[in-house]
Amino acid sequence: MSQPTAPISTNASTPTNTIPNTLEIVNLRKVFGTRGKAGGVVAVNDVSFAIARGEVLGLVGESGSGKSTIARLIARLYTPTSGEIRLNGQPVPSRLGGRALRHLRKNVQMIFQDPYASLNPVHPVSYTLKRPLQIHGLARGDTEEQVNSLLERVGLSPASTYASKRPFELSGGQRQRVGIARALAVRPELILADEPTSALDVSIRLDVMNLMLDLKDQEGLSMLFITHDLAGARYMSDRVAVLYAGTLVEIGPAVEVIDRPQHPYTQLLKSAAPKPDAGLVPETIEARGEVPDLKTLPPGCPFEPRCPHALPECKAGLPRMYDVGEGHTARCILHDPAVQARRGQEVGVSR
Amino acid sequence: MSGLRQFFGQPRSLVGAGFLLILLVASLCAPLITPYDPNSLEFGPFMPLSAQHWLGTTALGQDIFAQFIYGARLTLLVGAVAGLIATLLSVTFGLAAAYLGGRVDEAINTLINVFLVLPGLPLVIVASAFLRGGGVWPVILVISFTGWAFGARVLRAQALALRERDFVQAAVVAGEGPGRIIFREMLPNMAGLIAANFFGAALYAVLSEAALSFIGVGDVSLVTWGTMLYWAQAKGALLQGAWWWVALPGLGIALLGTSFALLNFAIDEISNPKLGRSNVKLPARKKPAPGAGVGNPDALLSIRDLNVGYLTPGPTVRAVRDVSLDVQPGELLGLAGESGCGKSTLAFAVTRLLDPPGAVLGGSVRLAEHDLLNLSPEELRRVRWKEFSMVFQASMNVLNPVLKIREQVYDAMQAHGVTDKQKLDARARELFDLVGIQASYLDAYPHQLSGGMKQRVVIAIALALEPKLIVMDEPTTALDVVVQRQILQEINDVRRRLGISIIFITHDLSLLVEMSDRVAIMYAGEVVELAPAHQLYAHPAHPYTQQLMNSFPPMTGPRTRRSGIPGKPPSLSAEIVGCPFFERCNKRMPGVCDVKPLQTFPVAEEQTAACFLYDPTVSPALKENAIRDSQHVQMEVSRESAHSANLN
Repeated sequence: MSQPTAPISTNASTPTNTIPNTLEIVNLRKVFGTRGKAGGVVAVNDVSFAIARGEVLGLVGESGSGKSTIARLIARLYTPTSGEIRLNGQPVPSRLGGRALRHLRKNVQMIFQDPYASLNPVHPVSYTLKRPLQIHGLARGDTEEQVNSLLERVGLSPASTYASKRPFELSGGQRQRVGIARALAVRPELILADEPTSALDVSIRLDVMNLMLDLKDQEGLSMLFITHDLAGARYMSDRVAVLYAGTLVEIGPAVEVIDRPQHPYTQLLKSAAPKPDAGLVPETIEARGEVPDLKTLPPGCPFEPRCPHALPECKAGLPRMYDVGEGHTARCILHDPAVQARRGQEVGVSR
Repeated sequence: MSGLRQFFGQPRSLVGAGFLLILLVASLCAPLITPYDPNSLEFGPFMPLSAQHWLGTTALGQDIFAQFIYGARLTLLVGAVAGLIATLLSVTFGLAAAYLGGRVDEAINTLINVFLVLPGLPLVIVASAFLRGGGVWPVILVISFTGWAFGARVLRAQALALRERDFVQAAVVAGEGPGRIIFREMLPNMAGLIAANFFGAALYAVLSEAALSFIGVGDVSLVTWGTMLYWAQAKGALLQGAWWWVALPGLGIALLGTSFALLNFAIDEISNPKLGRSNVKLPARKKPAPGAGVGNPDALLSIRDLNVGYLTPGPTVRAVRDVSLDVQPGELLGLAGESGCGKSTLAFAVTRLLDPPGAVLGGSVRLAEHDLLNLSPEELRRVRWKEFSMVFQASMNVLNPVLKIREQVYDAMQAHGVTDKQKLDARARELFDLVGIQASYLDAYPHQLSGGMKQRVVIAIALALEPKLIVMDEPTTALDVVVQRQILQEINDVRRRLGISIIFITHDLSLLVEMSDRVAIMYAGEVVELAPAHQLYAHPAHPYTQQLMNSFPPMTGPRTRRSGIPGKPPSLSAEIVGCPFFERCNKRMPGVCDVKPLQTFPVAEEQTAACFLYDPTVSPALKENAIRDSQHVQMEVSRESAHSANLN
């Protein structure tokens, strides 16, 4: 499938200087379950975006939208079917091994969704944190001290009491802090956080998010923050990207995208999110059906079958990303000047 | 390790391990126990039981007791070594298949299946016939090579599941190599299964050896329990009246097999706790005090002083503590709280679905004229679905995958006496229309429906007999936001149209405030605040509610730093003195909140809070101090954060 390459640009306000983007992915694609046969599930459909140094990109979508798959492609838990991943401007080779792989593992770390599943129940915290240091040759004389300082940094103090604990002795929030400490241990440049708070109780989510923001500021980290929660994405992210059925449908500055969504799917997501502050009047949403089966996606815009604004040409092919200003782009034909001109002054997507 | 303590804490494993130990010691110390050589032929044939020969002698004049004790050596050796080799093979093949995947997995899997399909004993017999007479080792090898496949299949499945677990993925991301991942991350988590597998294989080996020897394909010149049986049979022991010659090795084999099986079960149960049965005895429920249990006479559902706990070998986990709630006809009561606050336990207790070790410790639940907690099983069957029904979080999984949706919708109605096919069909169509599914899906199977549609079917079934009350526990949590919103709209429409009451339980307070008439907030087993939804939203009274509301990042307005609630809820197995939220509260009053027994106080009309800030007997100065301190802290926390400033 060929399509125009989405512009690789980050925040418009970022000066175009010499610091390369920490991460760029270009037309990244993952097809599952082919095994040489035709067909298969297109989990990630030619997605392109970039994350600048020190930036948090929120990646928003529902289950099956491909957001976790993208993180696992970048972390090389899966091999991409096609497309390119660049770290600091350097392409990551499609066949990875030896030094190149270790370089990737050292610079890209992941925080997992479920802290009850992501820590090995048989190992004490100190083992979990020591291993990354040893693997990447960062262990200095006293690893115990390094482990303790990691624990202190993620707010688990006094560290010595936590280091010897096994996961079952910790609460969900404490476990997730250990997960964050493990990711930080090797001083990576990029952290892929796959729904790091959705398995946690509401009352501790914010503190975990705050911790991640603080660490990002202190360490100058770049972060991919994956979530299905628009409010959380708005809180955490500098920019937000919205995925639908494996396709990137909208990307831009976080407040721009969430306060003034330009793609009908983002608008639907926003109207469906609970918001008691909207005045206690439940919003009635306009949506037909559910997320389509990824095996039988329509040839055009994947959202067309459910879209309240669908036009005949939406079926023709996947629309390109249209620039809607402020570094904000949306993959919707309603932003096409020709379509807008034809529909007179009426712009189908309300601002 | 708690696993070991658990292992030796149960009679099963103690009996198994004890018998094994006795046998092992006895066989090793055989010369101390019996003065005779098992192979010595110096005595007369078929001597009766006597002080010299406790169990008499064989046809060839050997001492039977000596044979039994010495025979245990080889029998145990065969069991241990063959069990070990078979387990080693199972682990190697199982892990290699699971870890390497692809063609290796296919090849190994085929091999496993071939071995499983081949009938075990005939294979052993044929194989050992070739190796006949070479001592005990050929027997051990033959048994090992025929006994590994079952274990390999089980271990492969376990390893496949482990491989996908996040902690293994995390080790890959950390840069661990395959060796470390297999031996340090995966293998320790399979220890229980491997141990159980060893005892299973050892059992198989002992039985196979006995069978082989008995039919004479082993090396019958050795002394094992199997060869004892062979010679007893060959020399007509029973005809000579020497039944003990047969009985003793037979009993030995049976007991050894039993102890291996006991150990296998015991380990299996520890590594898979769901197999365990609860042995805890339920206490008698406290009778409610006279006059209690009445509640609000207008209410449809009246819960009074309900206490629910989980009985553990240690202290009882008191998951619901003195909860009193009323639900009015047609009302949607929201019940919010974090994981472990007791909200689901409350739902299970009210709907009489609580399983041991959970138990109602006291209080009453009245629905219309029914005293729910005292209904007999037969009365309960008649009331359930007709008077009240339930929808649970993963309830889309309650649909039977091999039955058409139609049959499952009919089921509840038929159980309550609706048998007319036309009436059933008409009602089913009506229900599907109510929850927004096309009637054509009645003839589909569950797998043909999406998660959202299955949950709608479950809601339709819950509505089938027009109950007065539906208890919904996180009915939409597993669903995506858009589908969740659609289903919430249907629920709201339906309940307004039919005038049913709903208890809606969720951890998502923001959602609850939007859709409920009244909201109850639970914390550590207690209802800490109860108020109309709009009142709770505009003027939350309890500091926990206030802090919880502040824990949701807003969808609009400027982006500012917010803080969550520090700390964690208290353990529910501990006795809590005073307010359970004291440790985490930003408005706490030391000397009051951690001392006085918790009480509920009126705050405004229809609003109550279990908080001493509303206790008229506490001095106003103390309250003002606490509130002022919390605001001071708030100022420090809510800085306009840098990350919002550099964005706009």
